[in-house]
Amino acid sequence: MDNAIEVSNLTKYYGKLLAVDHVSFEVKSGEVFGFLGPNGAGKTTTLRMLTGLTKPTSGAAAVAGFDILRESTTAKEHIGLVPEVSNLYDEMSAWDNLIFAAQLYGVPKKEREKRTKESLELFGLYERRRDHVGNFSKGMKRRLTIAAALIHKPAIFFLDEPTTGLDVQSSRMIRNLIKELNEGGATIFLTTHYIEEADQLCQRVAIINQGKIVALDNPEKLKATVEEHRIIEVSFSPAQEFTSQLKELRFVSHVSRVGDKLRLYVEDVSEVVPIIIDFARKKRLKVVSINTLKPSLEDAFAKITGLSPEVMATEKEPVKKEGGGSG
Amino acid sequence: MAASNKWVDSFVKAFYIAKKDAKVYYFKAPNFTYGLLMPISLFLAFSIAGQMNSSLIVSGLTSLVILFGTTSIEAVAIVLEKQTGTFERLLAAPVSFFTLLFGKAVAGFFFGLVLATVILIPLSIVSGTVVANPMLVFIAIAFSSLTFSALGVLVSAYAKWVPEAQMLSNFLRFPMAFLAGTFVPLELMPSQLSVVARFLPLTYSVEALRTSMNDSAVTFTYLLDILALALFSFVLLVIAAKVLQKRLE
Repeated sequence: MDNAIEVSNLTKYYGKLLAVDHVSFEVKSGEVFGFLGPNGAGKTTTLRMLTGLTKPTSGAAAVAGFDILRESTTAKEHIGLVPEVSNLYDEMSAWDNLIFAAQLYGVPKKEREKRTKESLELFGLYERRRDHVGNFSKGMKRRLTIAAALIHKPAIFFLDEPTTGLDVQSSRMIRNLIKELNEGGATIFLTTHYIEEADQLCQRVAIINQGKIVALDNPEKLKATVEEHRIIEVSFSPAQEFTSQLKELRFVSHVSRVGDKLRLYVEDVSEVVPIIIDFARKKRLKVVSINTLKPSLEDAFAKITGLSPEVMATEKEPVKKEGGGSG
Repeated sequence: MAASNKWVDSFVKAFYIAKKDAKVYYFKAPNFTYGLLMPISLFLAFSIAGQMNSSLIVSGLTSLVILFGTTSIEAVAIVLEKQTGTFERLLAAPVSFFTLLFGKAVAGFFFGLVLATVILIPLSIVSGTVVANPMLVFIAIAFSSLTFSALGVLVSAYAKWVPEAQMLSNFLRFPMAFLAGTFVPLELMPSQLSVVARFLPLTYSVEALRTSMNDSAVTFTYLLDILALALFSFVLLVIAAKVLQKRLE
């Protein structure tokens, strides 16, 4: 099977709201495919349609070669789903949650306990196996949710914002796990609003905005789309708001703020550096640092979508459970 | 997978869902208390003055206990799971909608069986009621439990939040309790009301229990009652599956 996921003109309306607008793409077997976009772009809704959690309004899709509408139950046997918010039973222990997941996915009785024990050990939760999941931290719950998605050894994983809201250590652990799963041959479909995460993990990235795929390629090729622009990162002292004034300078096409630094997207670095120095002198500012940068995926995203990368840093609202997707 | 294997697989998965629900929701002390106290109070309030005979009391009260016991939890189980997100764990699993809802109903079914036993045995002993055919009584209880559980599933599939589910189940339970021949035998009710009663599953539950407590043989009425309860269970679950599917679109 060349393609693990095939999507053709998938569309979803919630009432009059068009959440996903005629989306088409393929995910190759063994690929890590990223679905990158701001909150409300249609990422989660697409994932929910592909995993059988909501019906498309129109269009078609196949997962593991099975039509998501006509052969939904069979398709689900090949899917491991990790939702953004833990959907484990708080009233049950970690052990019982995994056993129940194994039962639902038809793992043979002899295998269930063995796999549950292995999974809990792999995720560092074996010592807490008898504890109710309600007492777990967010990071522990996310790890257990992934363990539950792994229990039937699926070929295709759908991960919805897997590291959102997690501490650095848990995020790193999950990213490493995604890499390991992929090295083991699994196909990964990942939604994220972290541009760096998509850049680190994905072999191909689809950028989705307002329900439409606006770009689809590997991260390096997406970055190449902004190579005609160069970036100068500058920091002034005292740090003040100069974004609009810098935008007015010659050869500067766009300015964005990153922490205490300002990024200037310019056509010619050698022309602009003296202009910046002159600007600082006139404003009686000290240039703390000035660097030239290679375009990042974030820059590509900003150019392609016309959105500021800062909108991606905004955390999501709590997920709406029934009906509508959140991303 | 062969068709017969698929059926077995679906049944087994429904059982696992039921087992999980029993553990998470049903077999907890407060649920038993509510399932028993509400119908007992209701029944005592209306039956003491009514000079009802013991078999009427036992059959009516047992049916009410099953109705209130199963629906009180079943009606909120899916709503709660939709709110906490755990319902999506079931929806994402390779389980058909009908199997999923059947599993939910089976949990309520077992809870109804236990509740009915808890009320029926001591009540029969205390009231001196002789049960003509315990096996037929058991079958009537089993079908009643499945039907009321399916009713709870339908309410839970429809409701968006817990208060709505509770309001809806009360809207169905209380009129049913008064119109289904629980307190007043059908033959003593005005003819229009006795026609209405024939559309209510509780009517068949009360009648099946009453018949099997008084008659050791399988009567035509008893068979019709069991058939009606089986039909109600199936239809309610099919409607629940459709409603839920619509709700989740």
